[in-house]
Amino acid sequence: MKSKKIILENESGLHARPAAELAKLAAKYACNIELVVNEKKINAKSVIAIMAAGIKESTQIEIICDGQDEDEALIAIEEGFKNKFGEDK
Amino acid sequence: MLKGRGVSVGIGFGNVVILRDEEIKITKNKVKDVEHELEYFNKCYNDVLRETEEMIKDLSGTELEIMQAYLIMMQDPTLTNQTINLIQNEQYNVIYATEEGFNSIIDLFKNMDDTYMSERSFDIKKKKNRVLNRLLNRKTINLGKLEKNTIIVAKELKTSDTAKLNYSNVSGIITEIGGSNSHVSIMARNHAIPAVARISDITKILRDGDFIGLDGQTGEVFVNPSEDEYQMLLKKKETFDTEKVELEKYRDIDPITADGYRAEVMANAGVPDDIDLIKTTNAEGIGLLRSEFIYMDSPTIPTEEEQFKQYKSVVMQMGEKEVIVRTLDIGGDKELKSFDLPKETNPFLGYRAIRICLDRITVFKAQLRALLRASVFGNLSIMFPMIATIEELREAKDILEDCKKELRSENIDFNENIKVGIMIEIPSAALTANELARECDFFSIGTNDLIQYTVAAERGNEKVANIYNKYNPGVIRLIKMAIDGAHQAGIKCGMCGEAAGDAHYIPLLLGLGLDEFSMNASSVLRAKKIITNMNKKDCEILANEILKMSSSTEIEKTLKK
Repeated sequence: MKSKKIILENESGLHARPAAELAKLAAKYACNIELVVNEKKINAKSVIAIMAAGIKESTQIEIICDGQDEDEALIAIEEGFKNKFGEDK
Repeated sequence: MLKGRGVSVGIGFGNVVILRDEEIKITKNKVKDVEHELEYFNKCYNDVLRETEEMIKDLSGTELEIMQAYLIMMQDPTLTNQTINLIQNEQYNVIYATEEGFNSIIDLFKNMDDTYMSERSFDIKKKKNRVLNRLLNRKTINLGKLEKNTIIVAKELKTSDTAKLNYSNVSGIITEIGGSNSHVSIMARNHAIPAVARISDITKILRDGDFIGLDGQTGEVFVNPSEDEYQMLLKKKETFDTEKVELEKYRDIDPITADGYRAEVMANAGVPDDIDLIKTTNAEGIGLLRSEFIYMDSPTIPTEEEQFKQYKSVVMQMGEKEVIVRTLDIGGDKELKSFDLPKETNPFLGYRAIRICLDRITVFKAQLRALLRASVFGNLSIMFPMIATIEELREAKDILEDCKKELRSENIDFNENIKVGIMIEIPSAALTANELARECDFFSIGTNDLIQYTVAAERGNEKVANIYNKYNPGVIRLIKMAIDGAHQAGIKCGMCGEAAGDAHYIPLLLGLGLDEFSMNASSVLRAKKIITNMNKKDCEILANEILKMSSSTEIEKTLKK
């Protein structure tokens, strides 16, 4: 199991488009990927779960990857957050 | 023969497509064959998914991104988990399971304290209805992909419907409610599509595929017309088309009265598609570009960059010709997805248009900066709607000045001499026209709202339709005050309301001294013809006579003589 804490930089939070990008990215990996926000676990492969969590800008998020390709997955997901999933470009 | 009210002239023939707004009845029962129920759900759900994928193929840009996000939502098993569970483990029928299963997700979003997210519950509700319609074997209609010669039949058409409509394939519109001032009627006239409103139960009387002939002048609708009826309509259509050809002669003629008074005839635009239409009429510019289209259908407020691209494209298409962009005018009866406006008991007297912009300055500034940046690519002017007080005008201009300063310091080009005007659509503005005119570059009278605020009768409300009247002497005197106020300060006065394109009203407006007439593209050539065949002197005499009259009926009779 690998994990990393990051801060959400997307100004309008994880709304539909970035949430969809995140879920799409997470789906590429075999391992389980979860986000922990305010002690709540969210399945990062489900866009609905991500959106329903209503994560706002500046929220701390812990990314947890667990499974075969956890290393690559964590790097990719962290990179995705850094790029704000393509927002504001 | 059925009869309603003709709201957009012309004769149309075609096959009926009914837009049904039926309630979906949810039945609840237990089933024995769970496998079959599950299979049926999966089959229908996959059909809907495939349709969505098909739809996406024709999209691009922001629209594509939004739809892709929706598609990913639909592919997320979380969306259907509860439905499948209800079928598999509780043996519920597929309709009930879908209703309940999707509702659990809808509630999840609805209860979020984030307005953007709680609005996503509407998107999921739409998806639920699409799946339910599929399960019930009901057709959903793609308004962007209609067959040629379609007659649209609906209870009413909403702004969101007309925005998607592929007008070139629509040969007529029939609605159960609405009047000549309702949104769909204005759009129909804009696109020269014959339309009839107010035929009760028309969505139940007609069937999909029925052949129809309709007359948008008389309001007559012929279902599967007889040979005689067909010939009669065809003859009318020919006369109508001949008039159209006759009007073509005025395309390249400047609207100058017989005694040499030069008026300007411009067109109103609501969506980018209107520009092509406007160019075919050779209008002298766009007297009103409703900027709301930029905000429509977008789940979030468009960025400065997105807006800039759209404005730039419009002004470039119009070349040297002036494009007057009205800043965001929402509220009242116009809602936007990206704006969470509180429900008000009196929306027309409430938080709308410039009032919202002066309150939400970030939104306003993004639009103003985008407009300023686009101003170097053509002839763009800015117009503020719903100005009631001079303070509002000053405040709006201050914000515009701030934007200019910002752009200068960022070394971004804009037209330093950009013209700034206001809409005169509130009686207080018309009454203080002298003062307002000294602080802006032009006026444009918005008759639709001016009438409504002057006589305190809302447009679209059939019960007070006789009071909502452009022939009201009070309204006409306010128009005169606005024009006189503008001229005293040496600025131009235009009109962009429906009245500017009205054949009976144009002589009065000419007589009152209106400089610029902006109207639906479909009225431009006729207006040019009318003006060219008028004498300004005669119009002035007529106007003086009208100004002495005390009753709307008398004024209407005189103008229609």
